[in-house]
Amino acid sequence: MALLRKRVEKFAQGWFAFALWILFIIALYVFPYSGFITEKNELMGTLQTLSQLFVLITLASNWNLIGGMTGYVDFGHAVFFGIGAYVLGVLVTTSGGALWFAPALPFWVALPFAGLAAALFALLIGMPTLRLRGPYFSIAMLGVFVAMREIIRVWKPLTGGGAGLTLPPQNALFGFPQDWFRMGEYLVMVGLMGIAVGLSWWIRRSEFGQTLLAIREDEVGAEMRGINTTYHKIAIFMVASFLTGLVGAFWAWQNTFIDPDVVFFETRTIEMVMMSMLGGLGTVWGPPLGATVLYFLQDLIWANMGDVHLLVLGTSMILLVLFLPEGILGSLSDRSGTSFGGLFSSSKRTEREAAPQEKSVIEKSSGGV
Amino acid sequence: MSTKPLLEGRQVSKYFGGLAAVNKVDFAVYPGEIVGLVGPNGSGKTTLFDCLSRVQQIDEGEVFLNGENITTSKPHQVAHLGLARTFQVIRVYRKMTVLENMLISRQWRGEGIFSLLKPSAKATEDRARYLIDFLLLGPLIDEQAGNLSGGQRRLLEIGMALMPDPDILLLDEATSGINPTLIETIKDRIVTLNKDEGKTFLLVEHNINFISDLCSRVYVLNYGEKLAEGTPDEIKANNEVIEAYFGAEGE
Repeated sequence: MALLRKRVEKFAQGWFAFALWILFIIALYVFPYSGFITEKNELMGTLQTLSQLFVLITLASNWNLIGGMTGYVDFGHAVFFGIGAYVLGVLVTTSGGALWFAPALPFWVALPFAGLAAALFALLIGMPTLRLRGPYFSIAMLGVFVAMREIIRVWKPLTGGGAGLTLPPQNALFGFPQDWFRMGEYLVMVGLMGIAVGLSWWIRRSEFGQTLLAIREDEVGAEMRGINTTYHKIAIFMVASFLTGLVGAFWAWQNTFIDPDVVFFETRTIEMVMMSMLGGLGTVWGPPLGATVLYFLQDLIWANMGDVHLLVLGTSMILLVLFLPEGILGSLSDRSGTSFGGLFSSSKRTEREAAPQEKSVIEKSSGGV
Repeated sequence: MSTKPLLEGRQVSKYFGGLAAVNKVDFAVYPGEIVGLVGPNGSGKTTLFDCLSRVQQIDEGEVFLNGENITTSKPHQVAHLGLARTFQVIRVYRKMTVLENMLISRQWRGEGIFSLLKPSAKATEDRARYLIDFLLLGPLIDEQAGNLSGGQRRLLEIGMALMPDPDILLLDEATSGINPTLIETIKDRIVTLNKDEGKTFLLVEHNINFISDLCSRVYVLNYGEKLAEGTPDEIKANNEVIEAYFGAEGE
């Protein structure tokens, strides 16, 4: 089993997996021209669906950098999505003309600012919050998220407050005609997803990624072995936030309307966590897989069960945590750590019982007095 | 013995509320020495270790490593200055393999962000493999650290501490919960590292035989204060020490 796990990991972190990813991205670019779907409205619908899915994949992959690889479970990561959305919204609309001194920027010029603003905010907020561990960090970030939503709501001159901002209609990207407007959106999102997941692959196989895993496994130990944990945590937090800010900006632009409630949407954070967990925390390909599965599962449940779809979804999440806490990819090899898997792997179980040092002891914050 | 201490503590104190876990302890470890730190349970050995490696704040006093004042340094800075330690409660990265554990413990001094974006260098891997063999973990190189036995994890942790090629190693109860054969192995490895590579050791230990076999000097702590210091034989003959360990009736 250990060998299988080793092989899966080696493959996932290898160049071949990356090459397959690049090929996949190219295939996605070719897809609209392939003639696979000829009817135009149907094609536009499909592209829109895919764009939505790619937003989720990118968000899950970004969240996984801090939540999965580094082990800092961020329950407020959607705050960076919201900041990205609002920075783009404000720059593109000049707050409905309220910023009379500033020129209205085109999408492409505003986009990097959205990412940078999110990364800068991650730096500022990460310095205090990343000192907290475990549930304290999660709750602090949830607080940041809720606070930011209220700040946006009351900062009316800039953000339009509860009434929101209406962005110019999106039709000019790449010069596509109006009835092909989904094309531009699709192409941008494929690119963003390609970069985000590709970067995740690169980080995971680099020493930087290894240090993140070390921080997740044992932060005191990592610090004692010469890793500047603060620096690494803030760096990855900023990377994850930058990309999430870009996705937020993209989302704002394609939605053409933002207000505090649609942008700072709790479910978005919860989804990032669920998708990463479903696919496999800390793995490169798990979150994209989890996002895909969850997206279609949600659709299926919603279409077939209507009113109770959230109930069914919630129940499936409980089952997921019980039986597949390491997600689809993480559970490929060793299932003995789960309550379900433990029933079937008695040999592993006795081995664990025989081991004197158990996890709870290891995770104490210092070596004892 | 060189005259300049490698690791020196002056009046080091650490308080937990009103309790002085370490109380005005003076000590010095010179290059090339193997020094023992003993004392009954709760005497402050591990707390002193935590202060020296900067895992815990020092409330009073100063600590110098290679002549540099590290009283307010961060643990990773102390590591960069050449100090490595192990923990009483073993700290290895359980979900990583033995080799990965070693690779990630390499020398991090002076690294820019861009060098981090590459996989581990060949030289790092060579050193990791060498140390894994040196510590008899060769057959387990691809095993997950969480699956190793307690003794194997101790050896792995020592290997991880050796990866950055430190000047001084602080080993916290390297022999607790370890079978006698493996203790001999650890002892042998410490002697080899000390003789051949000139590594300096500071050992916290309950195993008095282990200490007397290895150490040239021993410090004894009791209730956070330095009770005695001297050669192992002097310590063993010291009435105060015997009393602290066994109580008055122990004589």
